[in-house]
Amino acid sequence: MDLTAPAIAIRDLNKFYGTFHALCGLSLTVRKGERVVVCGPSGSGKSTMIRCINQLEEHDSGEIRVFGTLLDDNLASIDAVRREVGMVFQHFNLFPHMTVLENCTLAPILVRKTPRAVAEALALKFLEKVRILDQASKFPGQLSGGQQQRVAIARALCMQPEILLFDEPTSALDPEMIAEVLDVMVTLANEGMTMICVTHEMGFARKVADRVIFMDKGEIVEEAAPAAFFEAPRNERTRLFLSEVLAH
Amino acid sequence: MTALPAAPALTPPARRFRRLRRDYFGSPASALMTLASLGILLGLGWWLMNWALLDATFSAAATQAECVQAGGACWSVIAARWRVILFGIYPYDEQWRPSFACAVVAGIILLSCLPRMWSFRRLALTWGLGAAGFYILMRGGILGLSVVNEQQWGGLPLTLFIFVATAVAGMPLAILLALMRRSELPVVARVTGWIIDTIRSLPLLSILFTFAIVVPFMLPGFLIGEKLYRVICGAALFFAAYQAEIIRGGFQGIPRGQDEAAKALGLPYWQRMSRVLLPQAFRLALPATINQFVVAFMETSLVVVVGFIDLLAAGNTAYKTGEWKFAYVEVYAFVAAIYFLFVFGLSRYGAYLEARMNAGHRKE
Repeated sequence: MDLTAPAIAIRDLNKFYGTFHALCGLSLTVRKGERVVVCGPSGSGKSTMIRCINQLEEHDSGEIRVFGTLLDDNLASIDAVRREVGMVFQHFNLFPHMTVLENCTLAPILVRKTPRAVAEALALKFLEKVRILDQASKFPGQLSGGQQQRVAIARALCMQPEILLFDEPTSALDPEMIAEVLDVMVTLANEGMTMICVTHEMGFARKVADRVIFMDKGEIVEEAAPAAFFEAPRNERTRLFLSEVLAH
Repeated sequence: MTALPAAPALTPPARRFRRLRRDYFGSPASALMTLASLGILLGLGWWLMNWALLDATFSAAATQAECVQAGGACWSVIAARWRVILFGIYPYDEQWRPSFACAVVAGIILLSCLPRMWSFRRLALTWGLGAAGFYILMRGGILGLSVVNEQQWGGLPLTLFIFVATAVAGMPLAILLALMRRSELPVVARVTGWIIDTIRSLPLLSILFTFAIVVPFMLPGFLIGEKLYRVICGAALFFAAYQAEIIRGGFQGIPRGQDEAAKALGLPYWQRMSRVLLPQAFRLALPATINQFVVAFMETSLVVVVGFIDLLAAGNTAYKTGEWKFAYVEVYAFVAAIYFLFVFGLSRYGAYLEARMNAGHRKE
């Protein structure tokens, strides 16, 4: 882990599902502290791309480096990268048999070897940050979707990662709960967390993104700062997509 | 529009009464069925009470003629032969030892059921001490106790020992087989699948025979060991093959995102399994697992075919001496009551565990 290297450097990434070409020679560099929003129609490879970064999906060819560490067949480097890259999922994926607090302290205690008392203090700090401290002793099944997703963010933060990946974090939420999750994400963005966020929340992209990336058919079609991206999209496919998501 | 006065809610007894009336007397046909069923149940109950209690003979000194004359159950056979049923051919003067041994087994089982005992160190300590206590009591050879070979063990302590040892050895093996069956390495997964399917396609009887009689010819002398432990190995293997598939079924009910979330947090394989996936798999597989325990408990009675006098076999020997030959129903009823006690307790404990596990998952 070399914190002076680019946070993420992807070069010529290819990924197949059977014969389906999910990622077609994709390249992307993300600087430390940069906030990148990835959007695009479903099936465009957005999720596949960010899931390759912590190797929930194995890529077929190309190169992924996270802070200089190359992701290859060396399991130790995959473990090292996963320790520094947190992930928030569409369906939260909290562990249902553990309390909120236990969800947050499990990995720090087991992976980082943090003493229990320290891990719990840290977890309470982050639970307070996502404004859910009063639910610490409840089980995930007792919380609303928005609350669960905020716990999931706190759980990822407890590993004190350098990078956070968000995979459609608000897509499974009822409309009235989206704002509470986005608020937390904006707070994190303003604190300088390196973030890659797959989302259709264009308001969020406008507000916090340094760069917006539009993907279609496994390729990056267009990338630009939010102002340019929304006001003057260059590519026809981008324009079509934006007219559809911004229509309502 | 004026508001109607709110209808008062039914009191719980009134609601129950209405429920009862609707469920059991809702139509003439169902009323008839209810009354007929009640009549049959009462008749059976009355007959059973007469047979088992009112007309029964209890004295150990009673003879067959006295029993027949009384007309009811002849519990005299139990009074006279209960030590044979419970302890088989264990030396008569030493039978206080298997009594204590049974108490030790029952004690460690009950202790292990308490949630506050569920830490590895406490369980290991309890079971280690319990197993040592059981073995010393049963086999003797130290502390001034005379040696009683495994071949002379019998009755309830033997049944309990075979069951507990099968489960204790079989469960870790089952977990291992289930994990190997799910391995990402195709060779490991496939070979494990074959092993499991092979064991499941063999009758337990043939496995017990093989381990009791055939295996000694294939092993070097120092590995053969006591027949009882070989038979337990066979039973554990059989138990593990079935339980492995039950656990695998539990795994399949877990959403894929659970493993992904654990991976994303950097948890290595064994911690993902032990902390995240196995607890959820066991929760999903609990009803089938309790079922498997019940079956395993019943199947201990098969060891009679390789020469062990378990509880059921001891019951058989207890009445097959001439004088009590007529009283087999009473002996079987007594043995059945003992099995019932354990299996019913197991089932209730399973229900308690399910309720306890569901408590944390309740939606508000």
